Amino acid sequence: MAKDGPDPLRAGLETHIGKPLGGAGPASAPDEVNLPMIRHWVDALDDRNPVYLDADFAATTRFDGIVAPPAMLQTWTMARPRIEGIGARGGAAGKIAADNPLTTLSEAGYTGTLATNSELEFERYLRPGDRLQSSTVLEDISQRKTTALGTGYFVTWVTTYSDGDGEVVGRQRFRILKFRPGDAGEDS
Amino acid sequence: MSRNATSKRFSEIAVGDEMPPFDLPLTATVIVAGAIASRDFMPVHHDRDYAIAQGAPDIFMNILTTNGCVSRFVTDWAGPEAVLRNIKIRLGAPALPGQILRFTGQVAAASQEAKEGVVELTIRAANELGDHATGSVVLALPLDEQ
Repeated sequence: MAKDGPDPLRAGLETHIGKPLGGAGPASAPDEVNLPMIRHWVDALDDRNPVYLDADFAATTRFDGIVAPPAMLQTWTMARPRIEGIGARGGAAGKIAADNPLTTLSEAGYTGTLATNSELEFERYLRPGDRLQSSTVLEDISQRKTTALGTGYFVTWVTTYSDGDGEVVGRQRFRILKFRPGDAGEDS
Repeated sequence: MSRNATSKRFSEIAVGDEMPPFDLPLTATVIVAGAIASRDFMPVHHDRDYAIAQGAPDIFMNILTTNGCVSRFVTDWAGPEAVLRNIKIRLGAPALPGQILRFTGQVAAASQEAKEGVVELTIRAANELGDHATGSVVLALPLDEQ
C-alpha cells in the first residue's frame, strides 16, 4: 500500500528515471564471446545442448555453427571483480558511483535488497568472436510501498546489449525491492 | 546422462502439453559453480558465513544460474534447434543447498509465423520453501517442411 503525503526521497530519485544508472557509461565486455567461458558454463550447469560446444553438430543445425548459451548474455559484460573488500561493498564488483540511486536508498535506511523480476530478451544468439557492450538505464522507481519485508521501493532498470556493429543483441529488464528491514507489517 | 539431440517439430506441440519435470539436486558446489561460471562473485553465492550474516539461511543460487537452468530445462525438452526469444521470471524463495529444485512447465500458447513455430511455455521452479521462480519462456522451432 502506498503511503500518503509527500515523499522528498522519491522526488529526488525521480530525476534519475530514464537516465544511465549510476551515471556510468556503457560497459565493455572484458573478453569477446569465447569457447572457454562457454565450456565453463556448460559444465557448471550441466547443460549438454550440443550447439554450445559440438562444432560438427552445430554446423548441421540452423545455427550453422557454435552459439553461446543465450542465458549467458549478462555474463559477457559482468564487471571484472576486485575481490579484496568485495564483502564490505555488499558484493559489488567495484566502486559504486556516488550518485547511484540505489546508494541513495541504502543511505536513507533502505538497506535491504531483494531481486523480484528478471526479463531476458534475445534478438539473436551470440557466436564466439562477438564483443559486447551494455548500457543500463533506470526505467522506474515505484511509489513507496509497504511489503511483507518492510517499507520500500521497487526499482527497475533495463540493460541493452549491443555487438561490435552497434546492433542490439538482447536486453534484460531487472527489478529489485529496496526495503527498510524490520519495519514490516506496520500497516497490517 | 543422455540428452536428446533431436529437436521437437512444431507440429508435435499442443497447448496444454506438460514438459517432463526436471529435478536438480542442489549442493553448495552446484550453486558456487554456477555463480563463478556466470562471473558473479557476490559473496552470498559462495560464502556461507557471509550469507548467514546477511540474513539468508545459507548461500543461494544467483539469478544468472536460475536463468541458465530454465534455458537448460527448456532445450532439454525442445531440442537443439529451439531458439529462445525470451525468459521472463518472477523470483521468490531462495534456491538453497540440500534441497531439490524441481522444474515443471506447460505449453501455454503456440502460433505459426511465416518461417517458424512460436511456443510460449509457463515455467515453475520450486523447492520445499515454495516457488523459487515462476514465469514464461518463448521459443521458436522450425516448421515441419524445413
